[in-house]
Parts: sequence; structure tokens; C-alpha cells
Amino acid sequence: MSSTLVPLVVAVPLLAAAALGALGNFAPSRFDNLVAIAVAVAVTVFSVLLIFRSADQTIHYWFGGWKPRSGIAIGISFSVDPLVAGVAALIGVLATAALVVSWDYFGEQVPQHFHVLMLIFLGSMTGFALSSDLFNMFVFFELMSIAAFALTGYRIEQSSALQGAINFAVVNSIGAFMLLTGIALLYGRTGALNLAQIGQVLSRGRADGLVVVAFTLVVVGFLTKAGAVPFHFWLSDAYAVAPAPVCILFAGVMSDLGLHATGRTYWEGFSGVLGADAGSVRGVLVGLGVGTALLGGAMAFVQAGLKRMLAFVVISHVGIFLAAIGLLTARGLAGATVGIVADGLVKGALFCAVASLARRLGETDELSLHGRGTPIPITGAVLGVGAVGLAVVPPLAILSGDGWLRGLLVVASALTGGAVLRAAGRIFLGLGPKQDELLVEPQAGAEAELRRAPRAGALLWLPGVALLAAGLTLAFTPGLARRAVQHAKLSVDRPALARETLHGVRTPLPKPSFERSPAAYAYAGAAGLLAIGFAALGLYRRRVPVLVAAPMHRLKLLHDGVVGEYVTWLTVGTAVIGVLFAVLIAKRP
Amino acid sequence: MSRNVRLGLFAAAGAMLAALLVWGFTGLPAFGDFQGEYGWILNDVAGHERHVTNVVASVVFDYRGFDTLGEEFILFAAAIGVALLLREARDDRERPRDEVRSDAVRAVGLMLVGPTVVVGLYLVAHGYLTPGGGFQGGVAVAAGVVLLYAAGRYRAYSAASPHGLVELAEGAGAGAYAAVGVAALFAGGLFLENVVELGTRGTLASGGTIPILNAAAGLEVTAAVVLLLHEFLEEVMYPA
Repeated sequence: MSSTLVPLVVAVPLLAAAALGALGNFAPSRFDNLVAIAVAVAVTVFSVLLIFRSADQTIHYWFGGWKPRSGIAIGISFSVDPLVAGVAALIGVLATAALVVSWDYFGEQVPQHFHVLMLIFLGSMTGFALSSDLFNMFVFFELMSIAAFALTGYRIEQSSALQGAINFAVVNSIGAFMLLTGIALLYGRTGALNLAQIGQVLSRGRADGLVVVAFTLVVVGFLTKAGAVPFHFWLSDAYAVAPAPVCILFAGVMSDLGLHATGRTYWEGFSGVLGADAGSVRGVLVGLGVGTALLGGAMAFVQAGLKRMLAFVVISHVGIFLAAIGLLTARGLAGATVGIVADGLVKGALFCAVASLARRLGETDELSLHGRGTPIPITGAVLGVGAVGLAVVPPLAILSGDGWLRGLLVVASALTGGAVLRAAGRIFLGLGPKQDELLVEPQAGAEAELRRAPRAGALLWLPGVALLAAGLTLAFTPGLARRAVQHAKLSVDRPALARETLHGVRTPLPKPSFERSPAAYAYAGAAGLLAIGFAALGLYRRRVPVLVAAPMHRLKLLHDGVVGEYVTWLTVGTAVIGVLFAVLIAKRP
Repeated sequence: MSRNVRLGLFAAAGAMLAALLVWGFTGLPAFGDFQGEYGWILNDVAGHERHVTNVVASVVFDYRGFDTLGEEFILFAAAIGVALLLREARDDRERPRDEVRSDAVRAVGLMLVGPTVVVGLYLVAHGYLTPGGGFQGGVAVAAGVVLLYAAGRYRAYSAASPHGLVELAEGAGAGAYAAVGVAALFAGGLFLENVVELGTRGTLASGGTIPILNAAAGLEVTAAVVLLLHEFLEEVMYPA
């Protein structure tokens, strides 16, 4: 069944953006913000409807009506199943929250260009999530990037904002070149841009140099957007300076879209030709994921600035979900997708809390806000409960993997939760000392220019409460994981998916068989307790052992904002991953 | 990290990456030996399915027209993004003096305005018959407008392309493309599906929705380029 809602989740925001761009000069003030909110709500409703409409059968939507001819795609398609539609719904919900928060957040007249770009950003993200055509994904990747660069630099009076936007633009553009080069290689070999068709042609050949290099480049492109180590350096610079409402979208979903694309490209495009080498691919992806999770967690723990702290939380959680996707199982994919949605809502809620802090207290620095949070208790509650959510949601979502792997990921999520919990304790309960030499003092960010609001507008705190409630509810809904695994089993069945996309041969949905084991709750509980322990340690420890302080000092020095170094790390990362794949995959006869 | 360490690390990693790329590119088919069927299929079908003589235009504005929607919005977003980042209060400032002094440059340059715009419009209008199209032609039309500044003066350029009007045109061009896609839904088709009479191949009245989308792209590109130059020129004309 074909559904008209599919193109609308992209077309409606883009059409509205164009209309606002054309007429914004003549419209009354606040009209642009109202339109943007209405569009975001519409995208949310459409996406939620699509979750249900695609529950029995994946929707393959061929733009222009150009269906494949004898197995060859001549047009562009979106493939929508409940997992993908769920990600689209997350985008819609977070965009709604971001636009509602921005109503009260900016204490000034916002140029209509801001809302035009937010709408384009919204439409490009849904397009990127839904597309099953590699070149079309690249187009939306670029559109998403252009809008995001400009939104990051919104505070043009702040040199740090422009610096963050430039680092973001330079590193992501190089990532985009990698991706495009990978696509060119694949097109040269297969003559196809549709992922299913690429997968079909590749699976008839062997994993030679072209396949290995193309896979490396495509994965590096997507992981640069996701912010996996060592492609993550731009992320903390950009998220620290972008306006808090924009960060709700950045942190809640943009990064995770890079992971979503990595999973989709592997399963639809490469799982056939690399099937015999799945062990090698798994080793590299899980290794990257664990490294990212722990580095992000450690760096989050040493930040005093809440926005930079949350940026490293994003990096850490990207690592956790990369490890889950990297397991290369249906359960890993299902868990990561449900986790990305639930965790994205929690991270979005935390940035709502940051927006409220910035607007009411004029700062987002844990140390200088010591004990000053009492006028805004609800924001404190969102920050505190959200911190626990950061610790427990990822372990609940990880549905498989060895004990040691899940143990490491528990440590990472507890570090992120502990960091935010410590900040909440310091700001809202006045716990701990006012000084801490371990913490990195933040630079002036986007908030430095905000005029402080005298009253707490409900629009500032209500979205945060709603997002947090929704995120925690989803994480604890047991039936969700069961349904997700059921659909993920189809997503990882490449030949069946290709028959369905290219020849219209339907595959029945497998029977649900999975139940979340009590182990997940045990891991989550352990992560929650560990997070409280980390928070207490952060607040009440006497001194930092040299064994921790010295490496942390080195690590802090690496994140120094010099874009040339970031590009060097990106190059090193690409070369190392490529050589690893080359050695592991090409050594097979 | 010191400069030397950074350069050394980059050189080593860059060399490895270069070797990888060479290894990958050697897997491509030899020149003239491309096996992909996509181009052959379209060469066979585009003429009678879409009544166009330029198959490239049928790919850009129809078979893969959805990509072009995204690409059009990339330009739109870039222009809006530049306007957002270069915004500032522009009142109370001295009018710039930048008149071109050379009579030769003025005479030849201003004489070229008309022909440049006409050539641009021709490129847009005939995009689906012969090489060209909305993107290429749009840049040419914008170049004609820019000649007003290059050979005349900034104020003439400014007066010929009022800011509000250019933004209106840019939004209209981008919006029209998306609106054609949505209109197909109302006509009972799929997004961007052709729902218009296909016309006679080889004439301006051919290709169904392709000329409409092509014109929308032409309008959007012209306005976006003019708008971008506005923003950049204002930086130069009114230095901080």
C-alpha cells in the first residue's frame, strides 16, 4: 500500500519554509514561529500515523511513480517501516519542542530566517531518515548540514559561535566528500544508487578493494555526522555555542541519524558482499562504539559548562548505540532504534532545561550557578530525573551482547548520568564545593547575550517535562522492544528486502518471538546506582588520583578547538579504519 | 599538539588514505567500459515517456526530480543562511561611492546587461530541448544583474534588485517546485508525478511538468545568486 503521508513529512516543511522565506518580510511578528510550530506538529502526526500504517507491511514510495523496471530502479524511493517512521516521529516531536521553547527563549525579535532554516532542517532530517536511495540520502545530508551550520552560528556577536560553526562546517564537509567519493565508487561498480539494488549487484561479486574502500568512506561520512571518535571533535564545539532550542534537535536526533544511516547502508547495501566478513566489521564497529562511549562519558564528567557536558553525553550515547548496531544482529538494530528514540527524547528534555536555565539565570555553568537554581524547581526536577534517565535508558535498550560489553556500556551511561546529576545537585541543592580544579571552565556561548527573563513562562519548562515523560515511558514499555525486533528481523534480511523493493515481492512479517530479559533491568538498575555514585564522587571527593588526572589532562588538551587538528584526526581515523578493513577483509582468499 | 606533530601525523595518515583510494579506484571499470544499464534504459524510454529531447533534463526534473528538489533547497538554505549570519543594522550609514570611472568599462559592461539576461533566459527556456536548464540559465541571468554593479555602481544594482522582491522571488521559486510535487498528490498521482499534457516533442510545449519545474529552478537560482551577492557586497560596501 502506498501512502500519501510519506512525501508530506518532507514536502510540508520545505513548502512552508519557502513560503515563509518569500512572505516573511510582510508577515506580522511571531507569525513565522506559529507556522513553524504548526508544521512540526503536522509532521509529528503524519509520522505517528505512518508507524501504524506500515505496521503490517513496509511502504515503498516511488517518487514520480517511477517504479523499478525488471529489477532496475529508475527513480528514487522512500522505504518506511515502523522503526523508520518512529525516528521521523522523534524528529517531529523534538522540532515541536524546540520551536515552542524558542517562543520564550529569545528575548528579542528573531529574524524570520531562523524559522525558515529550522523548517528546512526539519524536512531534511525526515528525508534523510526515510530515503532508501544512497544519493538522495547524500542530498538530504547536505541540506541538513547547510541549515545546521547557519543555525549554529546564530549568535553572530560571539566569536566562539562563529568558530564553532566553522569547525562544524569544515569537518562535516570533509565527511560529506568522503561519503560522495564512496557513492561514486559504488555507482561506478554497480550502476545503481538505490541501496537495495547496490546490495544486489555487490552480492554477486567479491569483497575487493573497491568494496572495502567504498564501505570505509560511506561509514566515515555518516559517523562524522554522528560524532563517533575520532570524528567527534567538531561536535562539542558546535553544540556548546548553538542556541539551546537548536541543540534540542542537534542532540536529540541529528547525531543519531548518522548511526541510523550506517545501519541502513550496511544491511541494505553491504551485508551480502561482506556477509562472510561480518565478524571483522562487527569488531571494528563495536570497538569504535565502546571507545566513543567511554571517551564521551569521561569528557562529559569533566565539564562545568552544561552545554558542552551534554555535547559529550551525546557523543557517549552515540558510541553506545553504535556498539549496539555494530553487533550486526536484528536485536542490536532494534534495541538501538528504540534506544535512539527514547534517549533522544531525554536528551531533548535536558536541553530544554538548559534553555530554561539560560533564560532565567543567564548562565549554564555548573560552578557559577552553585545553589542558585531555587527559583526554577521544575527545571531542576527535569535536570535531575533526566540525568537518571541518561544512565538507565541506554542499558534498557541494549537487547543483546556479551556481559563485558554491556558492563562497559553501563559504565559509560553511568558516567554521563553522573555528570548531569552532579550538576543538578550543585545548581539546585547547593551541594559540594564551589570550586573544582578537575572541571573545564566554559567559554562564553550563545547564552551570554540573552536578556534574563523575570518570570518562568510555561513554554520554557513544559516541553522539557513532556519530552522527559515521553522518553521514560517509551524506555519502560516492554512490548515496544518485542515489536521492534519483529520489524528489525525484516530490515536485516537483505535478499527479502531487495525482492520487495525492486520486484514488489512481499515477505510476510516474522512472528514476534523476542522478550526483553530481566538482565536489561538489572543493567539499568546498576547504571542508575553507579550514576549516583559518580555524582557523589564528583561532589565530595578530596582529590583526583594522578592516574586519572594526568590522562584526563591530555584528553582535555586534545579538544582545543583547532580545526586543523580535527581534520588531522578525521584523516587518521579514516586511514586506520580503512587499513583495518583492508587487512581483515582482503586477507581472505 | 605542535604544528610539526600535526603535519607529520597528517602526512602519514594522508599517505595511507591516498593508497587506499588508489586501491579502491583501480576496481572501477576501464574507461569506456561502464556496464551500468541506467543510462541505456533512459535513452530508450525518456523520449517517448516524457517527450523531451534532452534526456539529462528528464533525469534532473523527473526520474530523479526529487533529488533536485533537495538540491534547490540546498541553494535556498545557503542563501538564507548567509543572510542570517551576515545580518546587521544597516541604517544611518554613509552611502557608498563606488562608481566605475572608466567610460570604456561602463559602456561595454552596461551594453552587455541586456544580452546576458536574454542568453540566460534562453538557457532556462530551452533546458529540456538542448543542453542548459534552470540551474545553468539562472546563474547567467543573475550575472546580467550583477553587471550593473561590476560595470556601473552598487546603487544601481541595489535599486534593480530590491531585497524584499528578491527574497520573494527566491521563496517563490523554491516553493513552486515543492508545490508542483504536492499538486500531483491532489490530482491523484504520486509526489512529483507528471499530471500535465506531455505536448509535442522538440517544441517548447513539451515535457509535461518538466518545463514548470525547470522554470521554478531558474527563478530560484537567479534570486539566490543575486541575494548572495547582495549580502557579500554589503559586507564590502559597509565595512564594520
